[in-house]
Amino acid sequence: MIKFQLNGRARTTAAEPDTPLLFVLRDEFGLTGTKYGCGIAQCGVCKVLVDGAAAPACITPVSAVEGAKVVTIEGLNPQGEHPLQKAWLDQQAPQCGYCQSGQIIQAAALLAATPKPTDAEIDAAMSGNLCRCGTYPRIRAAIKQAAGL
Amino acid sequence: MTLTLDRRAFLAASGGGLVVGLTASLPVNAAGAGGALNAYLAIGADGVVTLLSPVTEMGQGTHTAHAAIIADELGLAFDKVRVEMGEPGEPFRRLQGQAATMSSSGSWGVRYWAAPLRKAAAQARLMLIEAGAARLKVPAEELRAEAGMVVHAKSGRRIGFATLAGEAAKLAPPADPPLRPETERRHVGDSRLRRPDLPDKVRGRTVYSFDFKRPGMVYACARLTPAFAAPITKVDEAPARAVKGVLDVVAFPGGVAVVAASQWAAMKGAAALEITPGPAPDPDLSSAAISAAMREGLAAPSRAIAFDRGGFDAARAGAARIFSADYEVPYLSHAPMEPWSVTVEFSSAGGVRLWGPFQAQDRARTTAAAALKLKPEDVRISTLMLGGGFGRRIMDDGVAPAVLVAKAVGKPLKFFWRREEEFLAGWLRPAMAARLTAAIGPDNRVTGLHIRMSGPAMRRSFAPTPLPADQFDTFVEPSAVQNLDLVRYRVGAYKVDYAMRHNAVTMCPWRAVGASHNGFFLETFIDELARVLGKDPVALRRELLAHDARALKLVDETAARAGWGKALAPGHALGFAFFESYGSLCAQVAEVSLVDGQPKVHRVVCGLDCGAVVMPDGVVSQMEGQVVMGLSAALFEAVTIAKGGVVETNFDAYRLLRFEECPQISCFILESGAPMGGVGEPALPPTAAALANALAALTGEPVRSLPLMRAPA
Repeated sequence: MIKFQLNGRARTTAAEPDTPLLFVLRDEFGLTGTKYGCGIAQCGVCKVLVDGAAAPACITPVSAVEGAKVVTIEGLNPQGEHPLQKAWLDQQAPQCGYCQSGQIIQAAALLAATPKPTDAEIDAAMSGNLCRCGTYPRIRAAIKQAAGL
Repeated sequence: MTLTLDRRAFLAASGGGLVVGLTASLPVNAAGAGGALNAYLAIGADGVVTLLSPVTEMGQGTHTAHAAIIADELGLAFDKVRVEMGEPGEPFRRLQGQAATMSSSGSWGVRYWAAPLRKAAAQARLMLIEAGAARLKVPAEELRAEAGMVVHAKSGRRIGFATLAGEAAKLAPPADPPLRPETERRHVGDSRLRRPDLPDKVRGRTVYSFDFKRPGMVYACARLTPAFAAPITKVDEAPARAVKGVLDVVAFPGGVAVVAASQWAAMKGAAALEITPGPAPDPDLSSAAISAAMREGLAAPSRAIAFDRGGFDAARAGAARIFSADYEVPYLSHAPMEPWSVTVEFSSAGGVRLWGPFQAQDRARTTAAAALKLKPEDVRISTLMLGGGFGRRIMDDGVAPAVLVAKAVGKPLKFFWRREEEFLAGWLRPAMAARLTAAIGPDNRVTGLHIRMSGPAMRRSFAPTPLPADQFDTFVEPSAVQNLDLVRYRVGAYKVDYAMRHNAVTMCPWRAVGASHNGFFLETFIDELARVLGKDPVALRRELLAHDARALKLVDETAARAGWGKALAPGHALGFAFFESYGSLCAQVAEVSLVDGQPKVHRVVCGLDCGAVVMPDGVVSQMEGQVVMGLSAALFEAVTIAKGGVVETNFDAYRLLRFEECPQISCFILESGAPMGGVGEPALPPTAAALANALAALTGEPVRSLPLMRAPA
C-alpha cells in the first residue's frame, strides 16, 4: 500500500508500485483533469505538483510519491480560482484545452518558486509543455498577468 | 431524453420539403421540457435554449460563435444558450461535392452555418411571439422578443420564453422568417465575447474522449501494423496476458488490442505484446525515394491540367528571361495532443452508440455500420470535446477496429491507442513538390507563370472509393492545386498542372490541406522573382495586385503595421507573404535573425480579411494558433519514411514548436464586407513563406524545402 496526500486529503492506493501516478489519478481516483499525451515526459499534459514541483505523472511511478503531497489541476484551488486560472480565463487562453491542465500546473510551480519571473525564466519553465493549438502567446500573457507583471 | 419533432417543424427547419419520408426523430440531450421549436433549438423549463450544433468543437470556438448568433437573433442573453452537438441527420449536413454529409472541415463552421442557424433562431422567435400574441390577445406586431421574454411594450406585460415554448412548439415554423437588423446585435461582433467552454478547461473538468466513462466499461489498447498495410504475421500474447488486469487479447484487421479492466493495464499489456510484422508491401519506400519520384515528376510530361488560361508557351517563347525554381515539403503529422480513443456500447435492441472525437460524423457512422453489418440508422454518433483535430479526426481508421473489438468483448469498451500508434498510423499531410516557372518580358514584368505540382494523390488514400486506373493520367489531385485557381496576381499567361507520383503512405487533410504547401511554394517563389527582377517583395506584389483594391488594402496595412521598409535591429530581416484560401485573404510579415546559425523568429504580424466577423477575439485566437502551427511545421516538422513505415513515433523525434520558440504574434482583422470567409485555416498558408522569405533576405540564399531545422537524432 502506498500512502500519499492528494489535493489535501490522505490517500492510499493498492496499485502496483510501478503504475504511473497518472493512471492512479485517472483510473483509481477519477481525476481526469491530468491527461495522457505521450507517455515519455515529452509533452507536459500530465504535469502535477509533487511537493510543489511540477512532475510528469506519466513517468512517475506511484511508489515515488509515497508520503508526498500531490496536487492536480482539480486541487490547485478549492473554487478553481487560482490567480493563474483567473488569468487564463481573462486571456481566453485555451483552445482545445487538452494541454492546459499541464500548462497551468507548470506555471503554478514556476510562480510558487519565482513570483516575478523574467521572460527567460518563463521560457525555461514552460519549455516542456507542448500546445498544438498554438496558445503559447496567451499562456505567456496569462502568466504575466497572474504574476502582476 | 429524446424529443420527437413533428414533421412539419422538421421540414421548415431543414429549409423545404426535401426530406419527406425521413423519420424526424432527433435526439435532444437537454431538459427540453419547454419544447423543440425546430431541428436545432429547444427551450427548457429553465428558459435555457439548447442549440444542437452541426459543427464539432475542437478548440476553434465555433460553438461560442453559434451561441452568439442564436442569442442575438432570438433575443436572449448569451449565457442562456447552451450548445450541444447534433448527431447525424439531414439538418446537420452540408453539401460536399455530390453528397450532403455531417463533417467539420474546410473552415465552414461559421461561414456556412451562420445563415441556417440564424434562420432557425428567427423562426423560433416568431413562433414565440405568435404564441405570446395568442396568450396576451394582442396583435403579434405589437410584441418583441427581448432578453428571453416576449414583451408587450404598450401594456408592460412580458412572458418568459419557457412559459411560451410549449405553445410555440405546436405552431408552424414560418418558412422565410424576417431577420433582425444588424443594429440590434448584442453579441455578434463583440470582442469581449467569452468562451463558455473555457472555465471547465482551466479546472480540468472538461470530459474528453479519453476521459469519458460508461458503467461496466473495459479498455482496449491497440497496437497497429507498423508499416503501411503490412500484415502482422505473429503475435506473442503471453507477455500481455501476464499483466495484472489484462482480460483478453483481440485481433482486428490491421492490428491487435489488449483488453483490460483499467486504462493503464491495457496500455501496459499492449506495450508488452511481441509483434512480428510481415514484409511491408514496398520495403524500399523511403523519404529519399519519394522525394526522387516527386522531383522526376517536376519535369515529366503531364496530361493532368488543373487550370490553363492559355498562352504560357507563347509567353515563354517571347520572354526576355525565364526564371524557374523547385520546392519541396515533407509529410506532416497532425499530432493532436489527445491520441485517438472512442467508447462503444451496444444496446439490447441491437444498435450501437459511439462516443468519441469525431470531425466527420457521417463517415464514422457509415464505417461503424459497415464493419458491424448494421444499418447506419442503428449507429448513434455522439461527439465529445476534441483534444485537437486539425483534420486527423476526419479519418475513421480507428472506428472499425473499435466496434469490432467491442463486439468481440461484449462489454462497453473504450478503444484507444498510445502516442506511438497515433504517429505510426500514418494519415499524413502529403509530401509535395513544385516547380514554378516565370516568363519575364523585356519590360522586366512577369508575362507568364507555370506551376507544376508533383506528389502523391491524397484522394487515393482518403476517399472511400478508389480512383479508377484509367484516370491516373489525367487526374488532378485537388489538394495539390488547392487555391492556386484563386491566385489574385495578374501574371499574364497562367497554367497549373500536376504529375501524380503516388505511393503507399496514407494521407488525410491536415490544417489548410493543400494550401499549407501551396502558400509556401507560390509566395516563396514570388520573393525569389522579386530579387530576380530587382524589385522590393512588397512592391512586386503591389504591382501584381494593382487591379485588386481589397488585396492591396490588406497588403498595405500588414506591411505598414510590420514597419516594412523601416530600419531593423542589426542582423534582422523581414519576410512578407500573402495568400488567399477558404474565402479569406491573409498577409503576414515575419521578423527573423540567426542565432548560432539557426533561424530565430522574433515576431509575426498577421492580417486577415475574412469579410465579416462573428467572434473577433476567437478569430484572433485562431490566427495566432495557425501562425504557431505554420512556424512549427516550417521550422521542425517532417515525418520520415523508411522501410515502408513511419520513423518518428513520439514527440522526442517529431519536434513541435516549443514555448520559448514562439515569437510575438500581432494579429489584426480587416472587415472588408466581402462574404464571410473561413478563419480556422487561411492564416496558416502564408506563415512558412513569410519565414522563408525573411531568411532568404537575411542570408541571400533561397529557401526551397522544409523544414528548416531537423530535430537532433
